[in-house]
Amino acid sequence: MSGGRRQLIRLAGLALVLAAWEAAFRLGLLSPIIFGSPSLIVRAAASDGWTFLLAFRVTMFEIALAILIAWTLGIAFGVVAGSLPVVARISAPVLSALIAVPLVVLYPVLIAWLGLGAASKVVFGVVSGIFPIALNAMVGVQGIDRGYARMAAAMGANRRQIMFQVMAPLALPAIIAGLRLGTALIVIGVVLSEMLGSTDGIGFWISYHRALFNTGQVYLGILLALLVAGLANAALSLIERSYARRTVDQSVM
Amino acid sequence: MTARELIAVEGVDKTYGSGAQAMTALEGVSFSVREGEFITLVGPSGCGKSTLLQILAGLVPASTGRVAIDGAPVTGPSPDKVGVMFQDAWLLPWKTAIENVEFPLALRKVKAAERRQRALPLLELVGLASFAERYPDELSGGMRQRVAIARCLVQEPRVLLMDEPFAALDEQTRTRMGNELLQIWEKSGGTVVFVTHGLTEAIYLADTVFVMGTRPGRIIERIAVPLPRPRTIDMIGSEAFGRLRNRIWHLIAEVRT
Amino acid sequence: MAGWVVRLSPLLFLAALAAVWEATSRSGLADPRLLPPFSDVVRVLAGLLQDERFRGDLAVTLSEIAVAFAIVGPLGLGVGFFLGESLPAYRMFAPALHLLLSIPKSIFLPVFIFAFGIGFLQKVIFAVTLAFFIVVLSGIAAARSVPAGFTTAARSFGATRLQIYLRIYLPAMEPLIIEGLRMGLIFTVTGVLLAEMYGAPRGIGRVIFAWGEMLRMRELFAGVLLVVVATIIGNEILRSIEEFRRARRRGLR
Repeated sequence: MSGGRRQLIRLAGLALVLAAWEAAFRLGLLSPIIFGSPSLIVRAAASDGWTFLLAFRVTMFEIALAILIAWTLGIAFGVVAGSLPVVARISAPVLSALIAVPLVVLYPVLIAWLGLGAASKVVFGVVSGIFPIALNAMVGVQGIDRGYARMAAAMGANRRQIMFQVMAPLALPAIIAGLRLGTALIVIGVVLSEMLGSTDGIGFWISYHRALFNTGQVYLGILLALLVAGLANAALSLIERSYARRTVDQSVM
Repeated sequence: MTARELIAVEGVDKTYGSGAQAMTALEGVSFSVREGEFITLVGPSGCGKSTLLQILAGLVPASTGRVAIDGAPVTGPSPDKVGVMFQDAWLLPWKTAIENVEFPLALRKVKAAERRQRALPLLELVGLASFAERYPDELSGGMRQRVAIARCLVQEPRVLLMDEPFAALDEQTRTRMGNELLQIWEKSGGTVVFVTHGLTEAIYLADTVFVMGTRPGRIIERIAVPLPRPRTIDMIGSEAFGRLRNRIWHLIAEVRT
Repeated sequence: MAGWVVRLSPLLFLAALAAVWEATSRSGLADPRLLPPFSDVVRVLAGLLQDERFRGDLAVTLSEIAVAFAIVGPLGLGVGFFLGESLPAYRMFAPALHLLLSIPKSIFLPVFIFAFGIGFLQKVIFAVTLAFFIVVLSGIAAARSVPAGFTTAARSFGATRLQIYLRIYLPAMEPLIIEGLRMGLIFTVTGVLLAEMYGAPRGIGRVIFAWGEMLRMRELFAGVLLVVVATIIGNEILRSIEEFRRARRRGLR
């Protein structure tokens, strides 16, 4: 089955689902408060669309900032830790232990320290996503054959050059896997923190309308949040593909 | 006129670990290599020949003793004086052949135009100029090693250290690469220290063969190879070659028992 | 590096963290009103653990976690085993599974509130939903990990289906089952705490969030400390069990 036909079938399926959803709403088959309907969402967009769009911008800004910080710190730490065997051996159990902590419990502390503005969201986003990024980068670098580092040393590369011009690119597939997971967690983290306590952003407006039982607006907000998550994932796929040429097949030497 | 001494090794020991678990890889290794010589280090596995090469390359420090290249003691890698090659080329998979050759220069922040200018002739030298834009996964094992040779030479070192560079190749390619290496060496001058565990290869390539023994690793004997240059394949079948080969074989066999 | 240092590195890390915490707070480097000293927090926590109301909240949270886990564990594993063993079933449901896995389900928290209110039931259902898919995935992996040769051998000496299941499949899958349950528990705890923080009459999550809003920092940190320590310890215990059982199985592969 060609890709075009598959796309068409998927769209048809989506249209079918939407139609059934709307029908269920009209016929009163499902509780309108819980399930809403496509028409409710459209109506919500008409009345509150502008607010949500502005909120979208705020959320994107927070996510972008969190991504910038988490990617940089996470990759840097992971690459450095992975290159220094002593650090790696200590960090691995620590990082794996910390993954068990429900990070959401740290959020009230961030609100108390940084207020309800963007700062607490960005920090929470960074904390949510940085562990898988660092862990994957570290494991990725550890898995590289030491021969590459030795070759670079023989050519006169210094420590920093070996880490970032040889090891990091070789570890790229692992790093990107970590970025994928970490970025998803960052997006969720930012939106959730907005839902829990904020002054603006998609999550804030979702919570606001939830309190008013405006199901249409709530679903609109959720849709936008899913859109953001989807965009982030797509961006990562793009990055992955543009670096496909430079992937490491460890058997190629 | 005898060439001057370029590589001087005196009383080198290398021990790993300490106390009861100490492992002596090398003991009392002393030899010298004159400028322009092609010498080979041959011995059974575990005789420390790779360790010795890494000490010469400045990648591993000697436990005791002195190592000097061109008068200066070896404290770390000096890629402008010493070029190193290993059994695996370790080409960076995301760089093309020419970019791999340029890599040492890029590390030194040499500008792109100059890098290309210095790297391209070397790829021509190893016969891979038409493969300059190919990636390592498009090249055969022998070709990758040739790129590695070019990369070795790009900083114009006086000394080439090679640790069993052709061991992973099939026999025909190995022989061909050996001949090509000799041609490159004769054309560009320079001094070569070549490690191998193949007796034929060791004799065929070298002016002098250093035979190493194991447990502990040390130099048992220094054997001059009186065969004329340029070397040809049929020399391998000659009586003189056979005698040399037997002699080395016995030396190694005796040590092992 | 000494083996014991590596094994205990999470503990050492936390101990070092506590030391730094105490020092920064007591020395005034950090504002002690925003970062109360570690010793004070521990004292407050000890007091809280004896407070009836706090223990009530703790009981609510623990029971929510227990009930949710009791549901999602067997349910998720059951579905996972089924999908793992039956290729046609897997092929049918895999796309839906992966789609649902990739959607951040916590964003739908408001919908859960619409549907189930903010009581005990909602927390349990939400946590089950969050954890379900991870457990299913682990179940699939576990079912697939059993080498086919085992069942053939067993059937050749007349074992019944049930016997095969209990005496071969289950023991063979044990490490992966434990790992799946461990991941499920992490998600369950996160789900319960998140839902409580968002809106609940009782529960540790709600209590911690309220303390944050009231800027009662010592109680806030006491609650956070309790959650962090409890989750890390719980996870490490489960991980040791998992590793222990895995090591005993080394002969099987």
